[in-house]
Amino acid sequence: MTLQTSEPGARPAAPAAFSAGSLLSMLSIPLAIVALMVLGSFVSPSFLTARNLINILNAYSAVGLAAIGSTFVAVCGGLADLSIPANVAMGALVALGAQSLVGPVPAALLGILVASLGGLINGVLIGYVRINPIIVTLGSGFLLLGLAQLLVGGGIVYAEPSAFGSFVAGNLLGVPVSVWIFFIVALLLHVVLSRTPFGRWNFAVGGNYEASAASAVPVRFTKATAFVLTGLLSGMCGVLIALSLGQARPIIGAGYEFVAITAVVIGGTSLFGGRGSILRTVGGVIILALISNLIVLIGWPTPATGLATGSILLVVVAIDAYLRRRTGTQ
Amino acid sequence: MPASLKTLGSLVVRYRLLVMLAGVLVFGGFTQDDFLTLTTFQSILDRAAVVGFLALGLTPILIAGQIDLSIGSVMSLAAYAAIALQPELGSLPAAFAGLGVGMLAGAINAVIVVGFKVTSLVATLATLLIGASLALLISNGQPVSSADPMFGLALTNEFLTVLSPRSALFIAAALVMFVWLKATPSGRNLYAVGSSMPAAISAGINVNGYVAGIFVLSGFCAGAAGVLQALSAATGSPLAGSALLIPAITAVVIGGTRLEGGRGSSLATLGGVVALGALTTLSEYNGIPSYTQAVYTGLILILLITLDRIAGGNGGKTTRTLRSAAVKQA
Repeated sequence: MTLQTSEPGARPAAPAAFSAGSLLSMLSIPLAIVALMVLGSFVSPSFLTARNLINILNAYSAVGLAAIGSTFVAVCGGLADLSIPANVAMGALVALGAQSLVGPVPAALLGILVASLGGLINGVLIGYVRINPIIVTLGSGFLLLGLAQLLVGGGIVYAEPSAFGSFVAGNLLGVPVSVWIFFIVALLLHVVLSRTPFGRWNFAVGGNYEASAASAVPVRFTKATAFVLTGLLSGMCGVLIALSLGQARPIIGAGYEFVAITAVVIGGTSLFGGRGSILRTVGGVIILALISNLIVLIGWPTPATGLATGSILLVVVAIDAYLRRRTGTQ
Repeated sequence: MPASLKTLGSLVVRYRLLVMLAGVLVFGGFTQDDFLTLTTFQSILDRAAVVGFLALGLTPILIAGQIDLSIGSVMSLAAYAAIALQPELGSLPAAFAGLGVGMLAGAINAVIVVGFKVTSLVATLATLLIGASLALLISNGQPVSSADPMFGLALTNEFLTVLSPRSALFIAAALVMFVWLKATPSGRNLYAVGSSMPAAISAGINVNGYVAGIFVLSGFCAGAAGVLQALSAATGSPLAGSALLIPAITAVVIGGTRLEGGRGSSLATLGGVVALGALTTLSEYNGIPSYTQAVYTGLILILLITLDRIAGGNGGKTTRTLRSAAVKQA
């Protein structure tokens, strides 16, 4: 969105403030991860074991893919994609439902394709028609989730046993395949966001929409592509979970939109565009994974995770708003 | 697009409420013998009351160019409180406690948006998650049955032939809000806040006060929706409002209130709620599965905001985010 234009001075001042505390800001995520690990080892002796840490990563690697897409959305000023749960469900249901028709691998690709189409709807409405992203993705998410439920009648779809399914659900060199996929996709898209013209367009569009448009940056295409990418990655997320669990339900991705947004903002990417990095989002995903594992180990009920996620989101965004105001008035 | 088609299109967009109502009535009259009866009308109004209160609370919010995504969660909290507190407080005080919960949640939103200057989109997105998690935590995920089931049953009785007590409350509230918005200085100031916040500030309007006030009002309305729903069902469910955010937004948008702020009316919202309720009742009469409701509600929402955007075409310069950003400078 064009938030920047209403805050003259905020952007030019931001890099200076950023470099002053750059060492601290670079170290803040690793420090937070170490602190959580120390805390965890006090809470439970089983926390700091390789098996537990791998399990933690495994549980969050699928939703981490959606967080990577959300980073592009946030950087280009598209705020957030709230249709992630719907696209995750679509990807999962199609990937399992189409197995008997076309085979496991084409079915997985088909699931990702269908989820990308969901992202394409968002992208066209947000990038080209320029409607508010939150409202669009809220509406399209509601619609697509309804469609997903209609598709399976509210029931469960089961996977058929296949070599592909057991490969995705299994380990490679002692590490779950979904963790590998998460890190490989993260590295690839980190390069895309930080080293390619498309990545720079995202920063430009999120930093100053009007100026980017005037400088012949394909602003509409960039914004739309960020949402298509998020749809695609949400589809991958759904396929991974469905194959790992061997089953899929329409509510399979419930709450993932919040995990993705919170991971993005914990990583220091502003929801209002122009600033962010995939590697920092990966850090945010790891932090959220550790927090949710701590909540389980302490013995708090599951909804406490949502409470923690929401509170973190609120605090981080309030700090971001405060810092933007301060740098704006300097 | 040919000029005549375009005129026709913008006419349909402008009179969409009437078009939709007429469509539902004609289709209902043809497909169901007993659709065009007073009983059907009474049932539509009665069931519209709950979504109606949510939509009423949302109307001033949208007029002022803000958004409140937390209303569904707040409604769940209020619904649970109104029933769970019955044994301790008694039935009537518990109902007021539910209203109080709603106002408190609205006040918290107001503090975050006005005090901490967080954009209402992101702020209420976080409180949506926090409220939903809190409702699940407090209730352990289980609905609670009323200790005094007879207390709320009268709410859905027949009243003045076509009404029920709760639909009468809803219509009365819509009328009061109409008078407030259109005939009092404070109501008219709200339109000024939504049309141009900087201009409203220059005109000496206490913008922060208005924005805070409408968030408390929205919380109160969500509380009323929750209390009415819980009392008439004699059950307090922690999920009571979780699926009602989109229908509420859709009802307001059907009524013609613009997401961009500065325009709207509570009577139009009343019409939008009735039109959506009539469509729901019609699809139930025709035995269409309930998931379809999510599909067409989402479809209507996306279609209307797209048409609003295209027909209203102001080049996308005045976005909600811009306005929300302006509140920061206030």
